[in-house]
Amino acid sequence: MAELTASRPLPVVKAPSSQEALPAHVRSHASGGRDLWTDPLPKRPDDPDAALLELLHEVLDPELPISLVDLGLIYGAHLEGDVAHIRLTFTATACPCMEFIREDIRDRLTREHWIDAVRIQEVWDPPWTRDMISERGRRRLRELGVGV
Amino acid sequence: MTSAVEGLKAESTEVQTAFRRLVLGLADTKRLLGIRYSDWLLGAPSIEGGIATSSMAQDEWGHARLLYAALKDFGDDPVELEHERDAADYASWDPLDHPLPDWAHLIAAVVIVDGALALALEGILEGGYEPLGGRIGKMLGEEEFHQALGKAWFQRLATGEGEGHAHLQQAVEAMLAPTVRCMAPGDDAHERLADRGLILPSSTLQHRLAGRLDPLLERVGAGVPTEARLDNDWDPRRGRGTGHPEEEAVERARGDRNRALFVE
Repeated sequence: MAELTASRPLPVVKAPSSQEALPAHVRSHASGGRDLWTDPLPKRPDDPDAALLELLHEVLDPELPISLVDLGLIYGAHLEGDVAHIRLTFTATACPCMEFIREDIRDRLTREHWIDAVRIQEVWDPPWTRDMISERGRRRLRELGVGV
Repeated sequence: MTSAVEGLKAESTEVQTAFRRLVLGLADTKRLLGIRYSDWLLGAPSIEGGIATSSMAQDEWGHARLLYAALKDFGDDPVELEHERDAADYASWDPLDHPLPDWAHLIAAVVIVDGALALALEGILEGGYEPLGGRIGKMLGEEEFHQALGKAWFQRLATGEGEGHAHLQQAVEAMLAPTVRCMAPGDDAHERLADRGLILPSSTLQHRLAGRLDPLLERVGAGVPTEARLDNDWDPRRGRGTGHPEEEAVERARGDRNRALFVE
């Protein structure tokens, strides 16, 4: 075994995408609600910022089946040229689903022909609390027996 | 948003170095605290207590990650900070240098060490330093649960008799003075930041900590010291004692055994 010391350069392994990492018999995976994602819009919308929020309504939290928007994690969405700028927070500083959420946002938005890239700015102010869950999100969670 | 470098651009090199020392010390302490919490994930006096340590360990590592990332603005590489440093370079607070031997020590660490870390973060928040302030609010929100759990357990152990009470007393005695010394050393670096209004002065931090903890600590015959003793074993470069955390914990903090599997 190679010696493991602090001075040894850190090897970086490029992780396979979640799709590549799936067993062959799994044809799709539902992370972020992607099995329910709608088809790309036929053309660039007149109000792209509003359209971005609508698209993010399709991206579900990996642990709770409500959208990132209804969960209150999206602090802003703005299109500049063909780059979508998303202001995102997380429920916890060590949320174990951070990478899933980032990937789901990118994958959903870049399905659109009018979005070339997604820049995600992670923000912690104001801190997320349960009060930020939308009324629609609360209703859905209550239906599932989750108290909010 | 103002970056850390821009936020401190008008300050002297000494002030910038002192601020970096402060943030690195908090990050390293949170990283070590997460490891110490995780040691009691299994084997706590109750399953619920163990689960709580799991959640707190997760929070501490999340906070450490945010703080390491903030040091990028000081020219540091967060990956290097997290994965490449030797134990002797860690600026974590002395009471976490060795594993916590029992649940009483863990509870003392929640109340004293974690409580003092939260207060140090509040000190930065009140200093109005924007690049960190945006992250600290979230951290402090998560810390409220740590203190609620720690204080409930502290009272439970302190009001009992026999071994539990005695172990808690020993833990408090071992942790209190070294923690206060790291949180509020009153040395040149710390007071330089306080003079610039970037953090609270040591005396204010001590006073506030006493206001919060003394009613609890009195139950085991202790109280927050009003003066930090730096003596000869103070390392001004790291803002802690001259020792360092034991190698095994640092190997875990760096992720040595999984380096070949490191994923970006």
